[in-house]
Amino acid sequence: MDLLAIEDLSVSFGGIRAVDGASFSVRKGEVFSIIGPNGAGKTTVFNLISRIFDVDSGRIMFNGGDITRERPHRVADLGIARTFQNINLFENGTVLENLMLGRYRHDRTSLWQQMLFTPAVHREKRADRAKVEEIIELLELEKYRDSRIDGLAYGVRKVVEIGRALATAPSLLLLDEPSSGLNNEETNDLTFWIEDIKEDLGVTILMIEHDMSLVTSVSDRVLAMNAGRVLALGSSSEIQANPDVIAAYLGE
Amino acid sequence: MEFVKKTDYDYDIRLFKERRDVFWYGLLALALLVGPLFTPVYFLTLGVFVGIYVIAGAGLMLLSGYAGQISLGHAAFVAVGAYTSAVLQHWGVPFPLALIASGVLAAAIGLIVGIPALRLHGIYLAIATLAFAFIIAEILTRWEGVTNGASGIMVKTMSFGGWEARTSLDKFYVTLAITVLAMLAIKNLLRSPAGLAMMAVRDSETAAQALGVNLARTKLTAFAISAALTGLAGALYGDIIRFISPDQFTIGMSIELLVLIFIGGIGSLHGVVYGAIFVVALPQLIAGIKDYLPAYIAEQPGLQSAVYGFLLLFFILVEPQGIFGIWQKIKFYFTQFPFYKKGELRRNKSFAKAERW
Repeated sequence: MDLLAIEDLSVSFGGIRAVDGASFSVRKGEVFSIIGPNGAGKTTVFNLISRIFDVDSGRIMFNGGDITRERPHRVADLGIARTFQNINLFENGTVLENLMLGRYRHDRTSLWQQMLFTPAVHREKRADRAKVEEIIELLELEKYRDSRIDGLAYGVRKVVEIGRALATAPSLLLLDEPSSGLNNEETNDLTFWIEDIKEDLGVTILMIEHDMSLVTSVSDRVLAMNAGRVLALGSSSEIQANPDVIAAYLGE
Repeated sequence: MEFVKKTDYDYDIRLFKERRDVFWYGLLALALLVGPLFTPVYFLTLGVFVGIYVIAGAGLMLLSGYAGQISLGHAAFVAVGAYTSAVLQHWGVPFPLALIASGVLAAAIGLIVGIPALRLHGIYLAIATLAFAFIIAEILTRWEGVTNGASGIMVKTMSFGGWEARTSLDKFYVTLAITVLAMLAIKNLLRSPAGLAMMAVRDSETAAQALGVNLARTKLTAFAISAALTGLAGALYGDIIRFISPDQFTIGMSIELLVLIFIGGIGSLHGVVYGAIFVVALPQLIAGIKDYLPAYIAEQPGLQSAVYGFLLLFFILVEPQGIFGIWQKIKFYFTQFPFYKKGELRRNKSFAKAERW
């Protein structure tokens, strides 16, 4: 079953058609990777899904509903979480605070209750913390729990950002170049985590990635894009053998 | 050396982390309740002013320090609060109701000011709030039927039923009670999801949105609560100075509140208290040492503003965490003694600030 369906999606910035009639769909429970050279429109597709940009034409269907005109914060409420290419954490907060913000969409107490800090708020906060601790354990972030983000190494920040997205308990997780800037060891950890997230948490993953060994080891299907268009869709080995894809990367 | 050992999640949730915190806050509460009985009226009045500045400062701290929305027009909310309370009391409304009305009206106006904040950032928002403050001052001057225009109005002493706050001691206790309640409300908010959402909006609007934070609602909430608190402070301010006129609520007062949160320590509620004490004490100090200064300095009309300016520059350049930051460092030095290393508390420069998505 399709969890996410992109139908004939287009957007232009000035004279540039960043995404040009792209169509593909992501099945529930799979790891779906998008590859492509710089400027292919991969991140733009993410920004269209999370509604940071408005769509010019086409449709985005999620879980059977049309989210093409949904407001950005509602997209998260529906169960789509994401990370950012250049890391977008709350710099002045601790790791714990960042992760607790992941639980925001599940909090139901009113502003008045929160100002009085009623027992309901207290219970909610404890429950959120318990969920966050599960993520901390999964991603081995225990020793950074109370560290401020602005003092953390790049690799740790990347993991914290994935953790924050996971804390929202999404049904679809968008990862924008999760391995960029990580060393080999960290990339290996990432490979295992992606599998855990898929198998144990049952989260569908849509991932933009350049590291072909990571893509090959975790992806069920791979989509290649160039100049805003879909080039090819298939298994990792099919894509790597596809002449159009090779041409896009190496030039004619 | 000290090690924090956390045994349950409530450690990060509850107000007083350690037993010694309960002790010290208890001692402070006792001092604030009993101390005034033996304090001269002059210092009691200063204490009332500190309370007023703490409430207004906490309001601005929530908006600027936590939600990241700068305001150069907070004097206008003080004015709205002061006038609402004064006018209602003239119409015979008892003080508690007039006080609540000040907060509610200020919050409503805060919502209106918050609307441009949905589209404006940084310096542009500062200018918009500044313009708003001028509009409020103009309305107060022109709406003579209610505000008595530029000639101002006398404020009735706060009263409720047969009780009247005749002495400074009464006013001090009333102010203290409202200050404590206000600080508690803000503290609760900051450890709740709504407060976290405000900090999220401050640090990255894009990421906040991607987590389901409604930017418009969060910003407007911050504006409304901030304005409400500042309005409450305004009602108390009118009561203690007894006479209010539009020309008291100048840009100078707005800047004074900004100085308060910057010097106290941006992003800290303790800082608000330190900042308020500082802002109230500084003019007294300057008046006190004026006699010992050479005449060409002592007679300068803008002496106080100049000192504000220099101190603000000093703190922004040297100690951005304000008085609270200095206090933290001193504490850290002693708890780490003799292991403290130079530069241990220096903040790392952020190297991966996102400029695009």
